[in-house]
Amino acid sequence: MIKLYQAKNSSKEDSNKKTCAAQLRINKDVNELELPPGCHIEFRDKNDFLNFRISIAPDQGYYKGGRFWFTFKVPTNYPHEPPKVRCETRVYHPNIDLAGNVCLNILREDWKPVLTIQSVVHGLLFLLLDPNPDDPLNKEAAQVLQANKKLFEQNVRRAMTGTSVIYK
Amino acid sequence: MEAMDQGASESTTESSHWPSRWSDIEKILNRTGPLSMPEFEEGKLPAVQKDCNILVIGAGGLGCELLKNLAMMGFINISVIDMDTIDLSNLNRQFLFREKDIGRPKAQVAAEFINNRVPGVKVTPYYAKIEDFDAEFYKEFSIIVCGLDAIAPRRWINRLLCSMLEYDDHEELEPETIHPLVDGGTEGFKGNARVMAPGITACIECTLSFYPPAVNFPMCTLAQTPRLPEHCIEYVKLIQWPKDKPFGETEIDGDNPEHILWIHEKSLERAAQFGIHGITYRLTQGVVKRIIPAVASTNAVIAAICANEVFKIAYSCYPNLKTYVMFNDTAGIYTDVLEPERLADCMSCSIKPRMLRFPRSATLEDVLDFLKESPQYQMSNPGATTATHEGQKTLYIPGIKSLEDQTKPNLSKTLEELGFVDGQELNVTDKTSPTGFTFKIRYE
Amino acid sequence: MASTRGKFETRSPENEKTKKYDRQLRLWGDHGQSFLENARVCLINATATGTEILKGLVLPGIGAFTIVDGNNVTGEDVGRNFFLLKHSIGSNRGSAACQQLLELNPHVRGDYIDESCETLLATNPSYFTTFSVVIATGMPESTVLQLSKLLHVANVPLLLCKSFGQIGYIRLQTPEHTIIESHPDDGFDDLRLTDPFPGLRKHVDSIDLESLSRAEHAHVPYIVILLKALDRWREKHGPTSLPTYSEKKDFESIIESLKFKHHEGDDTPHVEPLNFEEAIKARARTLRKTEIPDNVKKLFEDKECENLNPKSKPFWIMVRALRDFVAVNGTLPLRGSIPDMTSDSDSYVRLAGVYKTEADKHCEDICNRVNEILTALGKPLDIVCEPEIHILCRNSHTLDVLRTRPIFEEYERPKSNLITDSLRNNYQPEEPEIVYYVLLRAVDKFFESFKRYPGCLTHLMETDISKLKSIYSKLVQEWGIGPFPKDDLIHEMCRFGASELHTIASVVGGCAAQEVIKVVTHQYVPINNTFIFNGILCTSTTFDL
Repeated sequence: MIKLYQAKNSSKEDSNKKTCAAQLRINKDVNELELPPGCHIEFRDKNDFLNFRISIAPDQGYYKGGRFWFTFKVPTNYPHEPPKVRCETRVYHPNIDLAGNVCLNILREDWKPVLTIQSVVHGLLFLLLDPNPDDPLNKEAAQVLQANKKLFEQNVRRAMTGTSVIYK
Repeated sequence: MEAMDQGASESTTESSHWPSRWSDIEKILNRTGPLSMPEFEEGKLPAVQKDCNILVIGAGGLGCELLKNLAMMGFINISVIDMDTIDLSNLNRQFLFREKDIGRPKAQVAAEFINNRVPGVKVTPYYAKIEDFDAEFYKEFSIIVCGLDAIAPRRWINRLLCSMLEYDDHEELEPETIHPLVDGGTEGFKGNARVMAPGITACIECTLSFYPPAVNFPMCTLAQTPRLPEHCIEYVKLIQWPKDKPFGETEIDGDNPEHILWIHEKSLERAAQFGIHGITYRLTQGVVKRIIPAVASTNAVIAAICANEVFKIAYSCYPNLKTYVMFNDTAGIYTDVLEPERLADCMSCSIKPRMLRFPRSATLEDVLDFLKESPQYQMSNPGATTATHEGQKTLYIPGIKSLEDQTKPNLSKTLEELGFVDGQELNVTDKTSPTGFTFKIRYE
Repeated sequence: MASTRGKFETRSPENEKTKKYDRQLRLWGDHGQSFLENARVCLINATATGTEILKGLVLPGIGAFTIVDGNNVTGEDVGRNFFLLKHSIGSNRGSAACQQLLELNPHVRGDYIDESCETLLATNPSYFTTFSVVIATGMPESTVLQLSKLLHVANVPLLLCKSFGQIGYIRLQTPEHTIIESHPDDGFDDLRLTDPFPGLRKHVDSIDLESLSRAEHAHVPYIVILLKALDRWREKHGPTSLPTYSEKKDFESIIESLKFKHHEGDDTPHVEPLNFEEAIKARARTLRKTEIPDNVKKLFEDKECENLNPKSKPFWIMVRALRDFVAVNGTLPLRGSIPDMTSDSDSYVRLAGVYKTEADKHCEDICNRVNEILTALGKPLDIVCEPEIHILCRNSHTLDVLRTRPIFEEYERPKSNLITDSLRNNYQPEEPEIVYYVLLRAVDKFFESFKRYPGCLTHLMETDISKLKSIYSKLVQEWGIGPFPKDDLIHEMCRFGASELHTIASVVGGCAAQEVIKVVTHQYVPINNTFIFNGILCTSTTFDL
C-alpha cells in the first residue's frame, strides 16, 4: 500500500519543533476563551498555556462581591483527560473543601473531550451561584445551608472578609 | 540523543547465514500470487533487509513480542525506544527479561537479547522518552510500530507523524512524506491493532473515542458518601495524602511499597468507619497505580498481527488490514475489522500545513493582516503561537487582555526579530476554523 | 475489570510469586493460578507454533510441560522458531526447545521425549492420557485421527494447531469441559426486585420515603425506589404484575410521584435527584422475572447431573445440589452483590448487607446439600471445598458444559450443510474462512498422497496447483458442498507452500495458549470447536465442525 523506498529520501525537512495535539487544542481554547464579566485569567508565563489561574467574581448569589481564584493544570493528555482545577481562595462552600478540592461533575466523572476551558469556567461560576447542599464536600457548610440560610449567608460573608468560620 | 551501547553481539555475516534460513518467508516473497498487491515485486528480501528501518516504540509486553516477531520475519535494522526499567511484575509476559535484569532499562535488555539470539539482526536501543526526539529522528524510519499502554504518547507520535506530512501546491499529499504507523494495544484478554497511513486513513486523534476515559469518581462521593472499597482508596490517595503528608512533600510512588502500605492502612481505616468491606493490598495497588491487567497471550496475538502488517507494508505481498481490528478471547476467540472514518475537523490529521511566503522584513502584524484580508482565510481575530526547541512560544493572543498586553509588542517585530527560521511553523487559531491552521513560513 | 475476590487474596506485601504474576492474578485470581500451576501439558512437535504456545503457558506459570518430538533441528526450524538456536541444528528439536523455554520461568518444570508421536502412540499410548491437555502441531491426518480417538475415550482435552502461510488453525476437542466462571462482558445484576426475598422486603418496608429530609431522600438507593414504585404498581395491577414496555410511562410517573415534595416557600435550588434518574434508567434492566438461564437448565437435564455416582466430578455434585436448591426455591442462589449507585454510605452498606446475608444463606444451604450428596455417595466431604461452592453460587447463572465433537467424527462425517451454509452466508465474499478450512483438509489429503505439501518446491508450483485443485474438487464433491470459490485461494495455498510464518505462528500461539488456560482453569469460554484466522484480511471465524 505504501511505497517504501521513497520514504527514506523525504524532502528537506527543517529540524523544527512540532506542536503536539494537546497544545494545539489548549491554544484554541485559550484564544477563544470568552470569560464572563468580572472574571480574569492570568498566566505566570505567557508561553505556558498549560498552567494558569482564573478568578471568578459572581455578580449575584451568596458569593456576590467575592473574587475566587482557581488554578488550572492542563494535562499533556488534554482533552482526553480533564484539566486539574483547585480553588486557591479559602471559601465557605458546600462543594469546595478547605484544601481547595472542587466537586464539579464535569471536572471528573462527566468530563468529555468536547468540553473546553470555557465550559469549566461556566461550571465553576454555576457552582458559586448555586451551591449544591445535597452532595457536599464541606458537609458542615451544606448542613448549615439546608438548615439556616441566614446563618449560611453570614458564614459566607465572614469567610469572604477573612474572618474564619468556626467549624466543629 | 545517542543510541546506547548494546553489548557484544556475536553476529557476523558469516554466522548469520545458513541454508534455508529464510525459506519460509521466501516462499511468499519470491513467488507472486493472485492476492499480491499490484506493486509487489518478487525477490525483495535483500533490498528490504538493507534499506528498511523499523522503529518499535515501547519495549514492554507488546514491544518484546514485536522485536521478536520483526527479527524472525527478516527485518534486521530495528530501533526501539522505551523510557522504563524492568520490574518484577513485567516477567509474566515480557519474555526477553529475566530476574537478573530487574532495574535495567527495558530497551537495552530487549535489544541485547534479540541481538544475541537472532544472528544478523541489529536492534538499536534508546532508553528515552519519545518526546526526546524530533521529526528529524523519526523520518529516518520507514515504518513505525507502537506497543504502548497509554494514550498520551500515542497521541504524541500520531500528531508528529501527521505534522510531518507535506502537501504540494495543489494541496495534494506528497506520498514520500507518509510514515505508516502500526499500532497495537491490549488490556486483559482484549486488544486492538491498526494500520495507519497518516493523511490517508483515520488517525489516532480521529478515533479518540475508541479509548475509554479513565474512571474518575465524583469528589463528593469520595469525601462524604463512599460505598465501594475503591472510593476509600481514592479518598486516601487524593485527599488524605496531600493533607497528612506521611512522607513529607513527596508525591505518591505506586512502586514504593511503603507508600502503598500507608494508603492501604488508611483505606482500611476509612472503610471500617463506613462499614465497607473488601479492601486488599492488591486492590489498593491496583487503584493507586491504575493497573491494567495483562497476560502473555493477548500481547502475543496483537504484536503478531502488528508485525504481520509491517511485513505486508514492507513487501506489498498482501493487502493491509483496513484499518482497525478488535480482538477478544474471553468467550471463544473473536475478531472484528472496522474502517473508521477520518474526521474532517481532526486537529491532528486534517490540518494541512500550508506554505506562506513573506520577506524577512515582514512583521507579525503583516502576517496576521494578510490572514484577515485574504479571501481564502478571512480570519476575524487570529491568535498565533509557534513551537521552538524551548517549547511553545506565544506570539500574539488578542482574545485575552493580559496576554494581549504582553504580546502586543510582537506585532511590530519582524519575523526575523521574532527568531523565525525558514520553514518554521506558525500555529494560528481563529473562531472561523474548528481546527486552527498550521503555516510554514518561508522567507522570500 | 479485574476480579477482586476478598477471600482468595493475600492481604499485604505479597510474596515474589504474586508480585510476578500480579497482572494476570487480577484476571483469573489466585484460585485460577493454582489450577494453572497444577496443570501438566504435552506438546507434540516443537514447531514454531508449538513453542509459541508453550511460551504463552510457561510465562504465566503452568505447572509442567513435556515436549514429544522425534525430529532433529534443521536450518529452516531455526529461521522460524525463536526457541531454537543455530548451534542446535542437528540435535533433537524437543530437547533444544525445552532448554530455551525453561529459561522463561524458573517456576515451571519441563522435559522432553526424543521420540515421534507416532512411535509413542504405538509403544505407550496411555502416556498421552496422563496430561491435563495435549497440544498437537505439525501432524499428518492419520496421526491426528489416532490421537483424537485415544484422547476422546480418556477424556483428555486435545488442541490441534497449525500455521499454514497466512492461515492459522486451532481445533479443540474436549469430551467434557465444565465452566464455572465465564466472566461475561455484560455484567448482570441479580437484584430480585420482581420477587423480593423476605430480608429485602423487610428492609424496603422499613424505609418511609415521606419522613426523610431532602438530603436523605436524594440518597435513597434506586433499588428501594424501584421496589416502592413496583408496590404501588401492583396495588393497582395485581400482585405479580410487571409494567410492560408500553406501560413504561405510567410506571415512570409512579416513580416521579415518589420524588421529594418541596415545602412551599422552599427556595433551596432545585437539583434533579440522581437516584431517581438512575431508577428510571434501571427499570427495563431490573424489572424482569428472575429466570433460570438456558445454559443452566441444560446442565440440570444433563445425564451427569441426573445419574450421580461415586465417580461423579465435584462439578456435577455441585450442579445437582444447585438443582435441588432450585427445585425448592424456584430460583438460583442469589449472587449477593449490588452495583454502585447514588446513595449515602450507610443506606448503601445496609442494603448491600441485606443481599449479602441472603446470599450467604443460600450458599450455606447449597453447602449442606453438597455434603448430603457426598455422604449418600459414600465420598469424603473434603473433595469439594467451601470456597469452590462460594464461587459456584456467585456464578451459578454462567455455569456451562462444553462437549465438542471429536475430531475423528468430524473427519469421518463432515458437516456438509454447515459448510455450505457458511459459504453462502459469508459477508467476506472473497475469502470466507470456511474455504480455508476445506483447503487445509485438501492439503492434508495432498500430503497423504504425495508425502509432501503443495507448493513447497517452487519448480513444481504449477503442477501442485492443479493437483490441489483436483483434490479440492473431489472433496467438495464427496462432501456435497458448494459453491466453489475462485481458484485464487488454491493458488495462494500453494504459494504458502506449508510455510510456517513466525507472525502467524505467534497469533496461533497466543490464542491457543489462552484456550489451554481456559481449559485448565475452568474460567472463560473455550472455542467450539474450530477457529480459523486469516492473516491476509485479519479476520477470523469459529465453526462447530
